[in-house]
Amino acid sequence: MTRQFWWLALLAFLAAPCLAAELHEEEKESNWRLGAAVGYGIRSNPLVQSDDIPILVDLDIAWFGKQWFFDNGDLGLTFVDNKALTASVVARVNSDRVFFGKTDTRFVNVDIAGLPLSEAVEFKPPERDYAIELGVEMLTGGNWGALQLTAFHDISGTHGGYELYADYRFGWRLQRLYLEPSFGLSYKSAELNNYYWGVTPEEAGVVTSPYEADAGLNWHLRFMVGYQLDKRWAVSLVTEYERLNDEAAGSPIVENDGVLGWFVGASYRFGR
Amino acid sequence: MKRIAAIVLLVLAAMPVAQADDMKLSVKPLLCITDSRNEVCEMSFLIVWESGKRGYYCLFNDYGEAPMRCWNEEREGRLTDDLNVRETFSFWMAGTDAAKRLAEVRVEVLRMDSDDRRRSRRTRHVWDIN
Repeated sequence: MTRQFWWLALLAFLAAPCLAAELHEEEKESNWRLGAAVGYGIRSNPLVQSDDIPILVDLDIAWFGKQWFFDNGDLGLTFVDNKALTASVVARVNSDRVFFGKTDTRFVNVDIAGLPLSEAVEFKPPERDYAIELGVEMLTGGNWGALQLTAFHDISGTHGGYELYADYRFGWRLQRLYLEPSFGLSYKSAELNNYYWGVTPEEAGVVTSPYEADAGLNWHLRFMVGYQLDKRWAVSLVTEYERLNDEAAGSPIVENDGVLGWFVGASYRFGR
Repeated sequence: MKRIAAIVLLVLAAMPVAQADDMKLSVKPLLCITDSRNEVCEMSFLIVWESGKRGYYCLFNDYGEAPMRCWNEEREGRLTDDLNVRETFSFWMAGTDAAKRLAEVRVEVLRMDSDDRRRSRRTRHVWDIN
């Protein structure tokens, strides 16, 4: 909640000159893209002893220069941009870490085999760090839809692995109404998969067993519907299901093999 | 007494000119949304106006210098009009002095695509920033 407050404060700080400029140059596109959505949503947490991730506020903070850009945590440098292809080098934070920030400590009184323990022991899913990843992003689109291909490798020494990702989406606009289904695949290397979803012998105790995860392929389906109320306000509903790869889903610290997320809310866009 | 007269004068000064402020103009719809696949909105407008007093009034828009239609000795009127819209523009009402706009309504065009391809092609989702 505190973090969301600071993000809101940053958004207000950035939006002030943007709004002032808009009074004079309404038709010129600003380098900034600023917006905020307020609503309610949840992203389920596949880990054992964990809480779902609530989504109450969604901020959109992006800046696009001629070649450099910052887009909600992604820092990029575009080296190809033409009608057929947009290619950039991008640095980002890995998204798998998010689940490990919502785990609980509990006292457990059964062991791995389900047999009762003589006394309850404290158990918490293991900690995992954020990873900084560097990679290449290729984007293309047309009347047939839009395709996003990315390849990222860890440069922070956190997991030492890589991820290959592909997503296809197609949008229909009926004036104010917008519908956009999308689907995609994500290949996670053994190093990445094992760092986040594996259990080391040191982490394993009487409650869980050591586990080594190999490489695997996630897939996801997403659907978005939006309705534009006026030039600034819109309401939207987004829902997504992501199936974890079998190697991750088989981990003793994983309870569910899929992640279901949804959000419904009203959004406001500053400037143009 | 002087104080009351001053207040009355102030109130009178604050009151708008009857003809100008009594004009009400309503236009539907007010928003056109375009993108790379639909660069033009084919819109059918319903324009309704109402004035506090009878008179000679004309309806204009930014697409032409000539009025779309004029009414003589009327205090209300309506018109439907089909237009292909690409840019933000206005409808307005004028009296005998065509240069003086009595009421104006702006029809906004919202471009959902950006001039910057990265903005259109990149995707982000609400849980990406958790």
